Amino acid sequence: MSHIKELTKGIFKENPTFIIMLGMCPTLGVSTQVSNAIGMGASVIFVLTCSNIFISLLRKVIPDSVRIPCYIVIIASFVTIVEMVLHAFVPSVYEALGVYLPLIVVNCIILGRAEAFAGKNGVLDSALDGIGMGIGFTLSLSLIALIRELFGAGTITLFPVGSFDGVITVPGISESPVRVLTLAAGALLLMGYLKAFFQWKSARSQGGKA
Amino acid sequence: MTRYIKTAVILFLICAICTALCAVVNEVTAPRIAANVEGERLSALSDVSRGLEIGEQVDVGDGSINYYIPLLGGSSVAGYIVELSSSGYGGAMTIIASYDTDGAVMEAMMMANSETPGLGKKAEEPWYMEMFKGLGGESPLPSQKSDLSAEDNAAVSGASITFGGVSSALINGSEFVKGLGGAV
Repeated sequence: MSHIKELTKGIFKENPTFIIMLGMCPTLGVSTQVSNAIGMGASVIFVLTCSNIFISLLRKVIPDSVRIPCYIVIIASFVTIVEMVLHAFVPSVYEALGVYLPLIVVNCIILGRAEAFAGKNGVLDSALDGIGMGIGFTLSLSLIALIRELFGAGTITLFPVGSFDGVITVPGISESPVRVLTLAAGALLLMGYLKAFFQWKSARSQGGKA
Repeated sequence: MTRYIKTAVILFLICAICTALCAVVNEVTAPRIAANVEGERLSALSDVSRGLEIGEQVDVGDGSINYYIPLLGGSSVAGYIVELSSSGYGGAMTIIASYDTDGAVMEAMMMANSETPGLGKKAEEPWYMEMFKGLGGESPLPSQKSDLSAEDNAAVSGASITFGGVSSALINGSEFVKGLGGAV
């Protein structure tokens, strides 16, 4: 039962974006298109899960005095692997993520979970924590990107498949979009509203007052 | 002392394992990345050639001009494709542009870059290069944002360094093409 809890806590109860407020830079920077959010989210799931497993395996070997440099080396290696794989097999996502991809190395969620969880817990729980937190981050990022792109540009950008170019244009909104949502100011505004909503939901589910 | 040596050895081993892991993945992905990059380059050359015959590549490699390729219209040179290097907000940028023999930009495309999504990345979109097309011959290319129309100025807002990098690269290319004087 506790294993399932480790997996699901990152999705809502300890959601890294809306509850713990970690990884704000890529959240605000990449959430301009849904495809970017999914690409970034998938990359974070992979890096977070692999680094959590690796760090958990080595937690009794890594000396306390050099644990942060060790964590950074491990995380940076997995980010480099993701970069190479995306560049080789999904170049469009690699191009779209640009500078945010190498910046996963310093994403607070990755180092935060390594320090707070993987360095102190077993391999299975650490892997589940990585998957759960990664999924929570991906869902949050995708939700923000969906709202920003839908109302800010009147489109939903997914991945091109066959004759489908990957862009769904929404009639009515695309002619007169709320442009501010595509800008950084709009992202912060939306983030604030969503944070307030999740805070209210969280308080409500605990039987408290929002 | 033993503690320091033990710590150093552990750190070294972790680094060695991570490096080996990256090396294996690089071995698998490098050929595919190289093929992707070459495919994009050939596609870009075709896109900027405007249907003219693409000649033989001539390497330059002076830091700002990587190489040029004459565009042949019948038996004469109708223009040139030039690969340009510049720097933007995120670091090095590569641009492929075609010019008339008088140095006016025919087409331009942003290639490799690490510009910020939503800001400098706009330079990859086709409309971005429209503001440079036809300029560089009799009419000068814009060298700063104030040279642009109000609409274009607003469009590049928030990415001045990217604009400066693209603009200076295209100006360098235009001057280079003028220097060639229609020679192959």
